[in-house]
Amino acid sequence: MPRTPIQLTDKIDYLSILDEHNKVDTSLEPKLSRQDLETLYRYMLYGRRLDERMLILQRQGRLSTFAQCTGHEAISLGVAFAIEKSDWFIPYYRELAGMLYRGWPPEKFLLYWNGYEEGASVPENINDLPFCVPISSQLLHAVGIGMAINIKDDKKVVCVFFGDGAASEGDCHEAMNFASVFNAPVIFICVNNQYAISVPLSKQMKAQTIAQRAIAYGMPGIRVDGNDILAVYSSVKEAVSRARDGRGPTLIEAVTYRLTPHTTADDPKRYRSEEEVSIWQKRDPLVRFKQYLYDNKILSKSIEEELEEDIATIIKESVENEEAIIKKPEINDPLHMFDYVYSEIPPCIQRQKEELAQYLDYKKNPRKRGES
Amino acid sequence: MPFEFKLPDLGEGIHEAEVLNVKVQEGQSIVEDQPLFEVETDKAVVEIPSPVAGKVIKVSVHNGQIVTVGSVMISIEQAGGSKKEPESISVKESIAETKSQNQTAPQGFINKTNEAAPVIATPATRQLARELKVDLHLVKGSGAGGKISKEDVLAYVENQKQSSQASTQSAIGATKLESSLPDFSKFGQVERIPVRSLRRKTAQLMELSWSKIPHVTHCDEADVTQLEHFRKKHAESVKKYDAKLTMTAFIMKAAAVTLQKYPEFNTSFDERSEEIVFKHYYNIGMAVATDRGLIVPVIQSVDQKSILDLALEINKVAEKARAAKTELRELQGATFTITNIGSIGGTSASPIIHYPEAAILAVMKTKEKPVLRNGKIESGSIMPLCMAFDHRITDGAQAAYFIRAIVRMLEEPASFEKYLGI
Repeated sequence: MPRTPIQLTDKIDYLSILDEHNKVDTSLEPKLSRQDLETLYRYMLYGRRLDERMLILQRQGRLSTFAQCTGHEAISLGVAFAIEKSDWFIPYYRELAGMLYRGWPPEKFLLYWNGYEEGASVPENINDLPFCVPISSQLLHAVGIGMAINIKDDKKVVCVFFGDGAASEGDCHEAMNFASVFNAPVIFICVNNQYAISVPLSKQMKAQTIAQRAIAYGMPGIRVDGNDILAVYSSVKEAVSRARDGRGPTLIEAVTYRLTPHTTADDPKRYRSEEEVSIWQKRDPLVRFKQYLYDNKILSKSIEEELEEDIATIIKESVENEEAIIKKPEINDPLHMFDYVYSEIPPCIQRQKEELAQYLDYKKNPRKRGES
Repeated sequence: MPFEFKLPDLGEGIHEAEVLNVKVQEGQSIVEDQPLFEVETDKAVVEIPSPVAGKVIKVSVHNGQIVTVGSVMISIEQAGGSKKEPESISVKESIAETKSQNQTAPQGFINKTNEAAPVIATPATRQLARELKVDLHLVKGSGAGGKISKEDVLAYVENQKQSSQASTQSAIGATKLESSLPDFSKFGQVERIPVRSLRRKTAQLMELSWSKIPHVTHCDEADVTQLEHFRKKHAESVKKYDAKLTMTAFIMKAAAVTLQKYPEFNTSFDERSEEIVFKHYYNIGMAVATDRGLIVPVIQSVDQKSILDLALEINKVAEKARAAKTELRELQGATFTITNIGSIGGTSASPIIHYPEAAILAVMKTKEKPVLRNGKIESGSIMPLCMAFDHRITDGAQAAYFIRAIVRMLEEPASFEKYLGI
């Protein structure tokens, strides 16, 4: 009965393929066709430009509070590109680029951040969940879906996103433990952007990585450069093939940085320095990937200009569409808010809906009930 | 019809913003998304881009103005006639208008029946109402759609108290409530300017400090004739570092050295735990008057820095403050504060402590005065020093010793030799 070290079965790797100085590890470079790479760039740029447009709209009072995604594009898009359309994609709320690739119309995001539930209803042909603003509750949904996949045996996988802040919550632990115990085909993608609103990672955990928690849950874990779309894509590919094979969940920690405020109602200057931001601006995933495509002669000035023009037109039209949609009286009926949570409205919600209907009616005609 | 741009809600439930910078002029042609204003809300400084292209007809706001959400900021004659976009904005506004009309509508009904119609309030507000035994149906909500906030509940309670007081007071002949101001307009024209941003923060902090801390101010004076010579002598040699050797750097160093000897002035009084918190670090706040008001950036670890380093840092910090570039973290963690009013004037002052510190030192204007040296009247540079301290923490005798020690250092330039760092 001596004291001996326990040999843990897993170790944690860090994966970077295309680094911030645009050096490529050719032995790890994924095999992507010219068209694949072009598509990736298109959606990365599309996500960035829509994000920028939405900030302007917010400042003009044409959009409500919203959470920007600039700097996070490589993660959601790398994941979306590595899975099948029939797989499940479960965002938190910074997955604009990936969701555009999954086929979400841009109007959806404009409606959503303008406070319309219609923006959160999932288009018919898409196997995703809507944005999830409550922190880390989506992880539990994802594991439930993963467990259902095992019961139905339909070979799908689930990719779920969450931030470093969510990783500090209890739901995260429960989700990972259940996924592992029930061998659910879930890929946990932790978007470690270093801040939970204003709380830096160092005040959330003392461990070296979030990825190493995988060892404790008995699943493979890896830390990747979240600003390197090739690394994200490759790590998800690996995890997907394991999950589809019935070998259970994986934890991927994608390290990135929120180049923007937490939301449009946040002032990051109060909790981080401009020097820190400028270091990460040099690691911008879009700039890095663009250079990679130029180096590989996939992108040229003319292609780039064409893309920019295309995207600008799409975004302009989508804003016009959305602003026309929200003029319609029926979309402005607050009673809609009860309609989208359940496929059939349960009695408790129905009661609330009726109560509100009564209230709104009385507000229209305040005398009616006052006199009775 | 020109396009009128109204201040939108730039954050979550923002009611107003301060205009920091108007970036366009009347008559100027602008393109879509061109920055129009820089404004500061409770949450952040943001830039507002133009939703339309055209020509600026009228700018209705000016720098420094507090603008409420929904007020017209600028009118723009649109290029190429009216477009679809502004129309859709006006639809949103008309929704907002119906909302605000609705806010007041339920009142009469609610007062009469006191039941039935659902009240809009968060669980926290409901709990507060239960604790204060307030019927939420009787409270007028100030939020969207008549939503009741905690403030509404508190205001209601206060109101009830005052009206019951007022009725008893008027019964015994008293007419005025202590918190209400007289109607000044009876005596002449008045203007009311809302207290916002930095002014509001300063007001709150000063009120807190003045109401919590029993202040005592102790004054003394230092003959800085020798130090002036010493300073001028070394001013040349620091020029190569691009530094300006100011008196403030010497005073700050003297304060840090003296604080180490009299640690009770480097503390905070914790009234909850009835403890005095001694701080083993010496960060000194420096009051800087800026266009926007008073701010107090902090020089960290003054005890570990040379006078040259301090001179460089003081200069940098003051410039940053005047350019409104100071970051929040640069305003935190001070253990003692110095306010140098010497450049303006004055012989004494009773400064208010920068809560929750233990003391604040005001440096007054140095003047040439006759002084007695070895029985002879000579001319000397005399610097008055006034320090307010927290009498809960320490006493007048200690304050006198403390200031005497600072004065001694300032009167003996040799004491600074080892801290010069040149």
